[in-house]
Amino acid sequence: MNPDLSETQSLLQTTMRQYLETEIPFDRVREHEEKRVADAELWKAMAGQGWLGIPLPETVGGGGAGLVEAGIFVHELARRAVVVPGAEVMTAAVMLARHADGDESEILAALVDGNAIVVPAHLEAADDLEKVDAAVDAEGRLAGAKHYVDYADFATHHLVTARGTEGLGLYLVERSAPGVSTEALRSTGRTPQAIVTYRDVPARRVAGEAAVGQLIDLARTFASTQILACMEVSLEQTVAYTNVRVQFGQPLAAFQAVQHHAANMCMHVESSRFLVYELLDALEDGRASSDDAALVKASLSRAVPEVTMLGHQLHGGQGLIEENDLYFFTIRGKDRALAWGSAEECLAILARDVETPPRWL
Amino acid sequence: MDYRWPDEYLAFRDEVESFIHEWRTPELLAEQRELEGAPGPLSRKYYEALQKKGWMRMCWAKEMGGDGRDPLYQFILVETMEYWRMPYGNLTFTSVAPSIAQYGTEGQKAAYLPGIWNGELTFAIGYSEPNAGTDLASLRTKGEKVDGGWKVNGQKIWTSLAAHSTHIWLATRTDPDAKKHQGISVLIVKTDSPGVTIRPLQTVSGLKTYETFYDDVFVPDEDVLPPLHGGWSIIMHALNHERVGLSPTSNLARNYDVLVEYLQKNAPHKLADPVVRNRLAELRVELQRHRALAIRNAVTIARGAIKPGEASMAKISGSELRYRITTLAMDIAGRAGGLARDDARSIEGGLIQNNYLASPILRFGGGTNEVQRSIIATRHLGMTR
Repeated sequence: MNPDLSETQSLLQTTMRQYLETEIPFDRVREHEEKRVADAELWKAMAGQGWLGIPLPETVGGGGAGLVEAGIFVHELARRAVVVPGAEVMTAAVMLARHADGDESEILAALVDGNAIVVPAHLEAADDLEKVDAAVDAEGRLAGAKHYVDYADFATHHLVTARGTEGLGLYLVERSAPGVSTEALRSTGRTPQAIVTYRDVPARRVAGEAAVGQLIDLARTFASTQILACMEVSLEQTVAYTNVRVQFGQPLAAFQAVQHHAANMCMHVESSRFLVYELLDALEDGRASSDDAALVKASLSRAVPEVTMLGHQLHGGQGLIEENDLYFFTIRGKDRALAWGSAEECLAILARDVETPPRWL
Repeated sequence: MDYRWPDEYLAFRDEVESFIHEWRTPELLAEQRELEGAPGPLSRKYYEALQKKGWMRMCWAKEMGGDGRDPLYQFILVETMEYWRMPYGNLTFTSVAPSIAQYGTEGQKAAYLPGIWNGELTFAIGYSEPNAGTDLASLRTKGEKVDGGWKVNGQKIWTSLAAHSTHIWLATRTDPDAKKHQGISVLIVKTDSPGVTIRPLQTVSGLKTYETFYDDVFVPDEDVLPPLHGGWSIIMHALNHERVGLSPTSNLARNYDVLVEYLQKNAPHKLADPVVRNRLAELRVELQRHRALAIRNAVTIARGAIKPGEASMAKISGSELRYRITTLAMDIAGRAGGLARDDARSIEGGLIQNNYLASPILRFGGGTNEVQRSIIATRHLGMTR
């Protein structure tokens, strides 16, 4: 039982954190957010750093690492609130590398170089992760619409869940193919999101029905990782602010009522960190169930508004101004709380089996 | 990073479980309830068997007479025993014995440790006073130097198990001129010493605790833990020993399991209700959040690191969840959930109802949760004092 990062994992964490804090000022994040476009330059730079292939096999140029390392990548990007599809591409890449029916080396090599950008497209108008109407006919042509697709336009390919002649599965579709059109959405998180319509678009089946559940578990886990990062930074900024903001002749941090709010935020952050990395570690070798991924997502989705809103409470008016960096984590956190199964949806999954005794070791 | 429990720990868990099932008889449980955890004839036998297993001292250093095992074994022992509500050593084993082993004179070790191991000697902890609770260092029970020993006068409260103990582990102000945290010594006082009076206090959860009064009680020099006036660090050390398993998840999970089993047998219509199932799903989430903090704290302590904030988080989380889980379980069970443990119709001996009434003590005891939150803020987060 060892919940701490290894030396190599810590090194990845530190390297990414220092790089992003030095290279990406929050004002650059604001610019991309305003235009709702991805930071293509950062994406290219990350390919240069070799980060895009962290959990991919070395044979395609990847880092040969695991889901914990992929989680660190997602975590660090979310801590800087950068506008890039880190979680989305990691999800698609791991699916293609580990759960595809055939050899996907070619596209994986392109992913590592940053030349291919693959994002999942799963949810439909019904807003029900278990309901898929998109269909691929016998000629391999896809028809349907996907909603809330993150970074749909920045991507070169979509990994689309659809029903084909061989049943439910994952299909690879080129964004630039004729018949693919997008309609931008304006979401809470202010990152690019769109409704994508596919009209008679060539689609290649890459994985079968079992992979769909794995895709959801993985995407859900990375969303939880993003939420963790948002809570973490919200707490750090709050501690820093209350330590310097003086009222009634003393720093806010010295008031017990303020300390107790911060302690409550801290308990959410610390329990969440354990749960998220435990899940990543367990997904790596197949120990985690879909219920585990749903439980962690329910927990973090419930925790993030509590933490970020307490952060605002302790910042007062200062924290609501967009010149202050606090809001990034409030909006991104809530956005991810809704993605890949809200607290309510995940609790409904857990409610199917309440009879199994809970774990206590 | 590896979140798995290695096989040897799981094998140990299984070993503890089979031991529990061998000894957990209704008669033993009845005796435990009656004596509030102090050893009676049956539990003496049980403790003897437990002692033979070597688990009470397994995590102590070899030079202290232990087995030098990783403290995570202690964590697993506590969690497993707590699930079944089995006694595994009260504060006599977890606080007094390790302190005597570390700080005691050779004479004290010889006089007390063997008796503790075989269950003949049991200690009540005499720390809190009517005017020294969470602010323990303001205690006023005083010892005056007399020929060959100390004359003790004062009053303690929450001296749990005092009526069933042979000794009291007494925090005493031996130097009235020293600063608050200095000038305190730990004295070992026989409960049958002339001048010791024990008065029971009934608590709302059904457990008794005690007030103890000290009128010119003589304590010989050889029963003062060294260093004289240096008792504060012994008290703090003693509290540290409780902390690896200070806030188990298993006894919280037990309330959940007892409720679900009750619903399956007696109220399947409630268990089929989607609203009830959703509430239970929420409790599952809360249990895992607590488990995360409990294990995080245990791992840190097992490594010999000191992070007071982590212990505080586990303590707050477990004690507050105890209230939430039991109140919700009683609500879901309905009127049957309100039956007390002395009613034969109560659910699993009134376990949930009893835990509900016992939940306040864990929130304010051992350092109130308000103090714990300030510890998290100042020592873990680095907020200005």
